[in-house]
Amino acid sequence: MTAAPAGISLTAIGKTYRGRGKDVEALRDVTLDCDQGSFTALIGPSGCGKSTALRILLGLEPADCGSVSIGGQTPQQAAAAGVTGVAFQDSALLPWRNVANNIALPLEVLGRRVADYRDDIAQLIALVGLKGYENALPGELSGGMRQRVAIARALVTRPQVLFMDEPFGALDQILRRQMNIELQRIWGETGATTLLVTHGIDEAVFLADRVVVMQAAPGRIAEVIDIPFPRPRAAELFGQPDFHALCDDIAKVLHGG
Amino acid sequence: MGVDLWQRWPGLRNALVLIAIWELVGQFKLVAGGALPSLSAIVLRLWVDRADYPGHIWATLSASASGFLIGNTIAILAGVLFVTFPVLLRITRGLNIAIFALPPIAIAPILALTLSGMAPRITLAALGVYFVTMSATVIGLSQYDSRAANLVRAYGGAKWQVLWRVQLRGALPAILSGFRIAAPAAVLGAILAEFGGGGRWGLGTYLLGSLGRGEPARIWGIGLVATLIAGLSYVAFALLSARLVGTSRAVSLNPAAPPALRVDPSPWWHRIGLLLCSVALPFVVWWAFLRVLSVPSMLGKTPWDVIHYLFLSELRATAQSRLFSALAETLPITFAGMILGMGFAFVLAVSSRLLPEFTRAFMPVALITQTMPLVALTPLLVLILGRGTSLTLWVTISVTFFPAYVMMAQGLLLVPRAAVELPRAYGAKAWAELRLVAIPASIPYVFAAMRLTAPRALLGVMIAEWLATGRGLGNLLNQSRGYLDFNMIWTVAAVSVLISVGFYQIVLMIERRVLARMGMAATE
Amino acid sequence: MRLQMNRRHFLGASAGAAALPFLPGRARATTPFTMQSAWINDAEFAGYFIGLDQGYYAEEGLDLTYLPGGPDVIPESSIIAGRADLSLTTPDTTIKAIVEQGAPFKIIGAQYQKNPIGIVSLAKSPILTPQDMIGKTIAVPPVNTISVEAVLAINGIERSQVNIVPYSYDPTPLIRGEIDASLDFTTNVPYTIETMGEEAVSFLLYDFGFTIYNDTVVVTEETLRTKRAELVGWLRASRRGWVENFEDPDLWPPRWMDTWFAGTGRSLENELFFNHAQQPLMASPAGYMAMTEEGIEANLEALARVGINGTRDMFDTTLLEEL
Repeated sequence: MTAAPAGISLTAIGKTYRGRGKDVEALRDVTLDCDQGSFTALIGPSGCGKSTALRILLGLEPADCGSVSIGGQTPQQAAAAGVTGVAFQDSALLPWRNVANNIALPLEVLGRRVADYRDDIAQLIALVGLKGYENALPGELSGGMRQRVAIARALVTRPQVLFMDEPFGALDQILRRQMNIELQRIWGETGATTLLVTHGIDEAVFLADRVVVMQAAPGRIAEVIDIPFPRPRAAELFGQPDFHALCDDIAKVLHGG
Repeated sequence: MGVDLWQRWPGLRNALVLIAIWELVGQFKLVAGGALPSLSAIVLRLWVDRADYPGHIWATLSASASGFLIGNTIAILAGVLFVTFPVLLRITRGLNIAIFALPPIAIAPILALTLSGMAPRITLAALGVYFVTMSATVIGLSQYDSRAANLVRAYGGAKWQVLWRVQLRGALPAILSGFRIAAPAAVLGAILAEFGGGGRWGLGTYLLGSLGRGEPARIWGIGLVATLIAGLSYVAFALLSARLVGTSRAVSLNPAAPPALRVDPSPWWHRIGLLLCSVALPFVVWWAFLRVLSVPSMLGKTPWDVIHYLFLSELRATAQSRLFSALAETLPITFAGMILGMGFAFVLAVSSRLLPEFTRAFMPVALITQTMPLVALTPLLVLILGRGTSLTLWVTISVTFFPAYVMMAQGLLLVPRAAVELPRAYGAKAWAELRLVAIPASIPYVFAAMRLTAPRALLGVMIAEWLATGRGLGNLLNQSRGYLDFNMIWTVAAVSVLISVGFYQIVLMIERRVLARMGMAATE
Repeated sequence: MRLQMNRRHFLGASAGAAALPFLPGRARATTPFTMQSAWINDAEFAGYFIGLDQGYYAEEGLDLTYLPGGPDVIPESSIIAGRADLSLTTPDTTIKAIVEQGAPFKIIGAQYQKNPIGIVSLAKSPILTPQDMIGKTIAVPPVNTISVEAVLAINGIERSQVNIVPYSYDPTPLIRGEIDASLDFTTNVPYTIETMGEEAVSFLLYDFGFTIYNDTVVVTEETLRTKRAELVGWLRASRRGWVENFEDPDLWPPRWMDTWFAGTGRSLENELFFNHAQQPLMASPAGYMAMTEEGIEANLEALARVGINGTRDMFDTTLLEEL
């Protein structure tokens, strides 16, 4: 939208969880740079550390070593400045707030005047296709609708950097594809640097400029694959042979091939 | 290893610190001139009194075990019946809530009058376990795996086969968790019935007999033994349920749980009829109880006798004024104590989101105090606080605080991690996180805790009044017993049950409204 | 009821009581008979324990079951409910129940000729007469409040001049000085106070106009009709027990520490103190358990002062006359 999008940079990050009996090395020497405005997908098996990487980027956990930068700031600074937006796997809507107020939550946390964002919120609700549901409570919405509210909430601060942790994990295949297409459109309109953590290879390939494949024990980056398909990408891409070929390649990397 | 041990068991470390402080406080008589004896003095006294204990422990244990068995058997059968014929659940709703809410101390004298020998203790213990196990059974039976049920039906299985093969099996974890909470309740019931029950043996009897000795160490010893029995019974069933079903999932007590149908398609007269049945049933049971046992009419008063005494008889004016002046003393302090107790619990539970380490260390302490029988607690507080209003207030606060705290803190742990982390990802400070998430999220648990603790608050006040302060409803009950004023005994019992049930209903109504507006479900 | 008896037998057996008090009784044809006591087992009931241990009740053809009382037992309710044939009570509550509730009770004997309750205070700030109570804080069990009020009225003291607070048989507040005196058994609590390092003094309410008995023997009118012979037997055996007890007050209590007194948590010295202290309160020229005309008259007079208007026919002395 207005401000210049910022890039993301992880340099030589390491993180070990001290557990009972044995320690778990969640991340070892992870280095990753995402250019301003790019779309990066992070994919890998359970326990490969992709969620840990995201939590470090969100400032929810410190790294043991290495450095993190979001547009030249630490994660905490970036969060406090409203640079980042986030959507989790669980929509994490507060059940006692209606759709509009749930979307406004980040604004309240950042201490911004919610009244100044009335129009933005209305636009975002329209953008995620929930016009008319402004006053609905989360309990009255379907799972897909709740997830779309969560995405609108991630966008309400006009973030320059957008983090998404399996935001469509709970949705069925059809809805998921719809949401993928919508997310691509929204990303195009906002130009935010986006990092998507996902389990779905096709989703990663469809959305991202680059797919970063991680492996577990210790969590590390196995390979970074550039996605050559031109934008805007249409739903038909899901059916094309070269799309499938690329997905198969990534699957091979994932399975240690 | 040593350091590791502390880190792994912060509860153990805290317990040791607590014991050390206790010992020092006792040794130097820092609390109320030695009313809190040192732990070593208590243990020493236990050793001196060791010959007294077996008989008392045996009496209390056998009464609570019998009550536990009988109460649970009835509760499980009732639960099965209620799930099979849901209309029964609605008809017995009033009775179930009355059993849940009745302050045991109010009916202990009545049971002592109408039953004999060990029967009052067993009955009160059984009443103490019934509601917990019945709700656990109903919840357990209702939450079965419908696919498994369909499978049995697909092979031609009858309703009872589904019940037997799928539902009861699936309900086992819930029922066992119910037992866990029910076990200390049985001990409390048995001890409470020793008030007014007579007999030579039982920890309650021993405690009452020892109150006049001026020996704090013994009173503490008895209190700790009672707590130990209640606590061990809790642990035994926790282990059993972990062993049998591989789960130690907590079933939180939810008095509202009887899963009444949300949308009722039946005609209005049908609903009203059921409601009337539900209200009338407790009185019918009351009346039938007297008839079946053929209690002499001088001792046993029917609902009509009580109404007659209070509103129609020549004695009505004095009866009313005695009752109302007692209520005027009891009710304000009940509410004040409950609100303070809930308030402390709320503040502590909500702030435990900020201090998770503290919660982890404090929770075992809170759980232990919850298993401490109220009757054992009150004399200990008397030793420290004397016999004034502050005693009543503290008894009430302490009986409401711990269950409310446990319920709210456990409830808050159920708030999804993502909901908590979202504000943090936007750089929210602790206070904003509390205000935006933790506090609103705890509201269902505040209501649940209020429903749970209101009857306990009244019970606490009445026990304190009976044992110590000589005021209010508890004293009126005690004094009426002394004067053989059987009309007043039954009146006080009935009124205190009505107050408990009434308060419960009011909280439930407000809860439904508020939660519906907030888009949240009542806690299960 | 059966449970109660089983428990007693169980306890008797487990205590390994060599005397086996039940056996002589069982050897003959005996009538089951149950008495409800007024308090937990202590020296107050020594006479009955001797009667049981020595087989005096069995000799009267009674298979006696003894139900102990306690701070929370209402003895009268046991006889109304038919749990016991006979009960030891306080005369004020019994007569109040007859007058106000129409309870069908008759008083057929009295253990204490003088009610042992009195005002107990510390020797260092003694309260020796009702006049001394003025301006003081006195702890009184709720049930006995009217008795104290009666003494105040008899001695011309305004109720408002004394601060009465509830009491539950715990001398601690007295020792700590939270209260100035308490109403308690003068046979018992002074000992407890002495063990706590203070000296106690007391006066009996009886000596200042509240002239009532205590541990009155009460039965229902129906029991009086149907079990007259048993009641007379009970009175005779009880009197024998009491006579034997006071021949040497130190003899019996030590034998009961593992039987009758087991589990009460009270010391032998306490029981011996009690047993000595109660002797003058029970003695009567007409023999133990007796009720004289003057005594009954005094009871009725004292109770009338607290608004309990009993009559002579609530007492039945004809059984005592048969002894």
